[in-house]
Amino acid sequence: MKEEQKKKVHEKYKIALQKGERFWPDSIYKDLLVSLGIFILLILLATFIGVPGEPKADPSDSTFVPKPEWYFLFLFKFLAVYGQIPLLGKIEWIATAVIPGLVILFLFALPLIDRNPFRHYSRRTMGLSIMGVFVVSMIVLTTISGVPAISGNSGMSTMTLLQFMTGLVIPILAYIIIVGSSFLAKRSRPLASRLQKWTAVAASVLMAIVAVVVVAIAPKTTPAAEVQQANTLSEQIALGQDLYSINCAECHGSDGEGGIIQGVAGLDGFNMKTIHSQDEMYTRSDQTLKDIISYGQPDLGMNPFGKAYGGGLSTTEIDSLVAFMRYSWDDRAEMPAGAISSIPTLNPGEVPSWDVHIQPLVKRYCASCHQAGKQNNNYIMTSYNEMINTGDNAPLVTAGDPESLLLKLINGQEGLDPITGKVIRQMPPTKLLDPQYVDMLTRWVMAGMPQTAEQASTLEVVPMPGTAVDLTGDPTAGLTVFEAQCAKCHGENGIQGIENPGSDDGTVPSLNPIDPEIKGADLKSFITNLDIYIQNGSTPGGDSPKLTMPSFGTQGILTQQQIADVIAYVMSLNK
Amino acid sequence: MAGSHHISRRDFIKLTTAAVGTFIGAVVAVPAIAYLIDPALKSASTDAWVPLGKLAAFEIGKPAPASFTRSIVNGWEKTVNSYGVFVLRTSETETLVLSNKCTHLGCHVNWFADKQEYICPCHDAQFGINGQVLGGPPPRPLDRYSGDQVKVEDGILFIHFLGA
Amino acid sequence: MMWKKLFAWLDERLGLNDLYKATLDRPEPKGNWWNTLGSASLFLFLLQGATGIFLSVYYTPSPDHAYDSIQYIMNGVAFGWLIRGIHHWGASLMVLVVFIHMLRVFVTASYKYPRELTWLIGVGLLLCTLGMGFTGYLLPWDQKAYWATTVATSIAGSVPWVGPFILRVLRGGTDLSALTLSRFFAAHIWMLPAVLTGLIGVHLYLIIKHGESEFPGRDD
Ligand code: HEM
Ligand code: FES
Repeated sequence: MKEEQKKKVHEKYKIALQKGERFWPDSIYKDLLVSLGIFILLILLATFIGVPGEPKADPSDSTFVPKPEWYFLFLFKFLAVYGQIPLLGKIEWIATAVIPGLVILFLFALPLIDRNPFRHYSRRTMGLSIMGVFVVSMIVLTTISGVPAISGNSGMSTMTLLQFMTGLVIPILAYIIIVGSSFLAKRSRPLASRLQKWTAVAASVLMAIVAVVVVAIAPKTTPAAEVQQANTLSEQIALGQDLYSINCAECHGSDGEGGIIQGVAGLDGFNMKTIHSQDEMYTRSDQTLKDIISYGQPDLGMNPFGKAYGGGLSTTEIDSLVAFMRYSWDDRAEMPAGAISSIPTLNPGEVPSWDVHIQPLVKRYCASCHQAGKQNNNYIMTSYNEMINTGDNAPLVTAGDPESLLLKLINGQEGLDPITGKVIRQMPPTKLLDPQYVDMLTRWVMAGMPQTAEQASTLEVVPMPGTAVDLTGDPTAGLTVFEAQCAKCHGENGIQGIENPGSDDGTVPSLNPIDPEIKGADLKSFITNLDIYIQNGSTPGGDSPKLTMPSFGTQGILTQQQIADVIAYVMSLNK
Repeated sequence: MAGSHHISRRDFIKLTTAAVGTFIGAVVAVPAIAYLIDPALKSASTDAWVPLGKLAAFEIGKPAPASFTRSIVNGWEKTVNSYGVFVLRTSETETLVLSNKCTHLGCHVNWFADKQEYICPCHDAQFGINGQVLGGPPPRPLDRYSGDQVKVEDGILFIHFLGA
Repeated sequence: MMWKKLFAWLDERLGLNDLYKATLDRPEPKGNWWNTLGSASLFLFLLQGATGIFLSVYYTPSPDHAYDSIQYIMNGVAFGWLIRGIHHWGASLMVLVVFIHMLRVFVTASYKYPRELTWLIGVGLLLCTLGMGFTGYLLPWDQKAYWATTVATSIAGSVPWVGPFILRVLRGGTDLSALTLSRFFAAHIWMLPAVLTGLIGVHLYLIIKHGESEFPGRDD
């Protein structure tokens, strides 16, 4: 720049200053307002969007598709588009090093390259047009970065061509025209400016349109399955428990107790040692446990579970598993409050539902074997529909049917395969469920197998026998209870009940002799039926029966032993 | 400097200061740079025969993924890195093992049976069933193990891994 | 009275008045809202520094602990989610704001005489900011970070001749490992911020020396 031009610049600046403002407070005021806006925006972003969670880095997971931070996406996409150029596209360092290097160099050297002394935009159409096209192409590349440049078979497809056009060809053509028309400026500056301006506008619009088309015709990708993630220790333990139930319980038992393995290919009959003992937990560090899970113990029959060794579990998942084992079984580690996803217990009068009760129960105790790919007669229990409909001997459960095969098996009985004639073992094979869970499953089946808690809430609790049916009753003790509690309605010795106005029968039913339907076919059903009445009470048919029978069992009026005694007494009346 | 009588005291001081500064700078800079780039000067990779599993488990004519791990000592830390490969049995006796590392920038390629191609998710590279480049940016075919870099012992398939 | 005396005493020793005249009480051309973006970049830098320092209280740069320490910040520390949230979004916003600031300077041709060096330093600032984003991205040691950095460092490796060497310098070895994490950490919290601070200092000095450029008129 010549000295006189420099002088002119300084003079003009002086005038601008005189017409201007003070840095403090005028400019700072504006700066502060903008910064405040940004600050508030940041707090809102942090509060309402937050930082999306990601699973821990897993060098053994060779399937992860990397994606850079959004502001590098344009470069990432540029590499892909550039790679589609025949021949030249193979020299990748042109795209990775030379071109970005030149752009940076150009930016650095801009004040030296641009020797045009003018500052007003009308005299700088070339620079502005080039920058405009460049910025638009950055935006366009970012926008289409999620769409693969290839569709179907190799070679140039429409998709490749479109991306090629918008990402590379159009901007390059635009640069050439813009720079080329600057040579026109010697003859007619306005013409050159107009040409440059409109080239930039046309190129930008074209790129934008093609980009929109690319996004519009992009094959819809199904979002990858959400990776299960645990953020807090409690979540980690809960996730670990689920993973344990699915992957380990079939051999190690639902709580690490071991036992005779049944129904696992290659290991049937093997007596698995306990793994939740102090001996085991004290002598194995977390790292050892992780290694065992990851690598397996092939010589002992344990498959590798880590992805690095061909299994299905990621490092994060194995970490969770070990956290579950450590906090559940090691008495030195204190379980954080609320960590274990317990199976909810039933409230009085509540009907269990799949979502709330049965699914967690089944997941914990059954899903280890009853998932796809295991020996299970094709009975899958991982979803509501599968639980009800699958299995070689389906239906295994029928709503309201106490004779459902599933209920028999969980009560320790055996079934018979009607086709092959093979015996079907009790379930779970090694150790029966806690009676509380047997009861829960039975109630669920009897009430109609509701899926959601909402559906369950509309269903009636089906009266169920109590534990009294399994006790031995004493008829003599039963007589005493009967005289105190029952005789005032059912009559002495159960002969002739008293009047009950408003009921269909008009009297309280006699128990001696008793209704043959209650007596049923065998002793067991007699006991069960009696127990259902005594436990849950009964309201006779009729508009407004004056007398109703109280729920002696569920309301705790009688103990289970007393009920068993009364049952024995009533049975003695009906020999 | 002792012999130079043309130099003024001022210039001498300036020169000495500059020399001392340069000396200290150099003495700090050389070890500092060496310190920073040191891990880059060491190459730790060692070759080894690594097992990929039972040969019988791989179907003939169908690329199947397999992986193996190598542990490398990086500084004070032992890192277990995992490497993925595709095993393709071209016949009863011949086996071709391809690295799943894209030769462009090292993303992991996937096998698409419907297209009979390996595709790289990063910049859309396409490789044929034998690892040859069909399209996209990669400069060379997928790294391969064949011939005497592959052996079978007791029914187990091994490759001769040369390091990362 | 008391305050005035105290101020005078301090002024005599610190030169507060001179400082005030030199930095704050300056004439400026009529301002424009686009001219606030430089200060906004500075604000974001300071905010990143503050939140970054707080993050480093709990953050541990090792492959075994980095991820868990971030989880702890997010779930176990009071307002950890806020600090990390601001740092995370602040990084994105800073890149955006710095870039738009550069575009503004380009459009108003403020890089011309006498402000060429201010521009040059600004390009350095943009690169350092991108470098901060790049190094910071790896620190949470999650899947995205690990694999994106693996690929991004391979970009450097693709340069002919020196590429493989640069790659090993960046990674601290042939593979991503604990050494990579600790050198990215060092770059992210010491080296790049130190360079940034220095460059910002010169940038600001030059701005004060030459004053904010006036909005170009028709005859400029
Ligand atoms: C220009 C300034 C800075 C920028 C652009 C920046 C950018 C970033 C980015 C992009 C991340 C990744 C955040 C995430 O994905 O969650 C990060 C993380 C981090 N930064 Fe910064 N940073 C800056 C300044 C600082 C400073 C000055 C320090 C400390 C002295 C710092 C300490 C950290 C730490 C400890 C992390 C890890 C925590 C995390 O990833 O959330 N940063 N930074
Ligand atoms: S890394 Fe595979 S195409 Fe770029």
